[in-house]
Amino acid sequence: MTEDTDTTDAEEPTEDVAADGGPAGEASGTPSELRSDGGEETATDGAGPGIVPPDDETPAWSERKQRSQGLSRLTYEYFERARREDQDLRQESSYVERDVLGFPAWPHEMIRNLAITSFFVGMIILLSATLPPHIGPPANSGSTPAIILPDWYLYWSFGLLKLAPLNPELSLLGGQKLMADRTFGVLANLVVVGAVAIVPFLNKGAARRPVEQPFWAGVGFGGVVFAFTISAYSVNNLIPMEPTLQFDLAFLLPVLAACIAYSVLKSMREGYMFDLNRRYYRLRPPK
Amino acid sequence: MSLERKDDHDHKAWMKERDLTPVESIYLSVLVWFDKRLRIVDYLELLEDLYYKVNMQMPKSHTEQYNLDNKFWYWYPLYALGSFSTIAYIVAAISGALLGFYYAPAAAAADGTPSVAYQQISLIMTDLNMGFFLRSLHRWSAQVMVAAVFLHMLRVYFTGAYKEPRELNWIIGIVLISLTMVFGYTGYLLPWDQLAFWAGQIGVEMSLSIPLIGEWVAQLLFGGFTLTQATLQRMYLLHVFLLPFVVTTLIAVHIGIVWMQGIAEPH
Ligand code: HEM
Repeated sequence: MTEDTDTTDAEEPTEDVAADGGPAGEASGTPSELRSDGGEETATDGAGPGIVPPDDETPAWSERKQRSQGLSRLTYEYFERARREDQDLRQESSYVERDVLGFPAWPHEMIRNLAITSFFVGMIILLSATLPPHIGPPANSGSTPAIILPDWYLYWSFGLLKLAPLNPELSLLGGQKLMADRTFGVLANLVVVGAVAIVPFLNKGAARRPVEQPFWAGVGFGGVVFAFTISAYSVNNLIPMEPTLQFDLAFLLPVLAACIAYSVLKSMREGYMFDLNRRYYRLRPPK
Repeated sequence: MSLERKDDHDHKAWMKERDLTPVESIYLSVLVWFDKRLRIVDYLELLEDLYYKVNMQMPKSHTEQYNLDNKFWYWYPLYALGSFSTIAYIVAAISGALLGFYYAPAAAAADGTPSVAYQQISLIMTDLNMGFFLRSLHRWSAQVMVAAVFLHMLRVYFTGAYKEPRELNWIIGIVLISLTMVFGYTGYLLPWDQLAFWAGQIGVEMSLSIPLIGEWVAQLLFGGFTLTQATLQRMYLLHVFLLPFVVTTLIAVHIGIVWMQGIAEPH
């Protein structure tokens, strides 16, 4: 395999063997090591060199490419292109360091992570020793408790179920709603999750830091604040505040927070980028 | 002439002449024993080969590479959140397996009398040595895992680590965080106390309100339109069988992709 996978091999037109599907190795191997029915006795009890080197039988990269057609042929051709591209990039690069997109997860990152997390596992044990959970009264479909709640991490979803005031009433339907309020709530959940899921396809580019993209940092910050406000809204029967006011706040506060984050980052940007350029881009100039 | 072969492969003689410590000789004999049967050495060689192909040399750490003099050490906990989710998941899995020895998803009455499930939880909490702690550990590690996953997602967002080659991992992450919450939800129902019952009620109503397939979903997930024994059993199966397989696999794939792509720079 070692020399076969070399892409430059595949370019050479000299190896025009095996297009007919005949034994692939015959052209290259020396006769003595080709077949075991020759002078050398093959032993299978581990006493002699019973193992036939695999490269006798294995078709070379170029042969496999020539034989295959359709999708697999396309795959081989693409591999070749991609490898050539890599090679070209590497050769024309003038940086001392290779232009990395990421740091190896092993060993530095993972070892450091394990050190840090083992401390926090200790914290879990401490928490569970000091604050054990209790169990409520047994299930009773006859008595609805005053407070019905999922765990805290589902409050946001629970809050989104209570978006009835936003459910549009269509005048076309005579003031009726297109869908039931609870259907609207479930849909709101899907919309939120979907919006988070497509973020990588909306925000592209090489920027990594919030200051480099104040807009997206603002959106993110607003989203975090919205997660909190909508969670608070889901437990509005526990909060001594007018529900309508709280409903409005649940949407206004995130927007406000987003604007503040945006403007703060925007004004920090110049000085920060100056520092950044000095520190990083000397080593790795941006493209 | 002896039938015993004496050649280069006489590992015993080789071990004797090496003057090994007990630990070393035990280690070696176990290794040789297994290697004779399973050809372990071949696989070790493969692994080693892989390792050196991946890391041609010991890579520079981030601080070394940018000469940062460890200036940003306070960022590192944020980059450990993904690992922390994994570890919390493992803690939850172990404590959950232990809880599973005593719990039974049975006889889910909803008339205010304690069901078998409820009684088993009470038993764990009051009669079992360390049982209260065990339940507490399971509960807390689950909660901490969810929190860590949320924060991990935020750090990925705010460091832009979801960009170009890593979109797939972001999508897998969305699936993972959703499944983590489903994990929490199904576990929340298992004690079959009032909170569990009424949280289950919300779940049934949510499924029923899905257009067109709502009733089918409610039947599938909750075993009917009211909460019964079937509901508890389904939640239990999801919680201890289906989700563990799926989530463990996805975490492995997720971390495998990080392994292949590297941690997004810069920190
Ligand atoms: C069960 C939940 C999860 C586990 C166990 C997990 C685990 C990990 C681990 C160990 C890493 C390595 C880097 C680090 O620790 O920061 C990582 C990276 C990553 N995770 Fe997760 N993760 C989970 C959920 C998520 C979620 C919810 C998202 C986003 C929606 C996500 C997106 C990513 C991305 C994009 C990376 C690559 C980041 C980089 O290269 O810097 N993960 N994950």
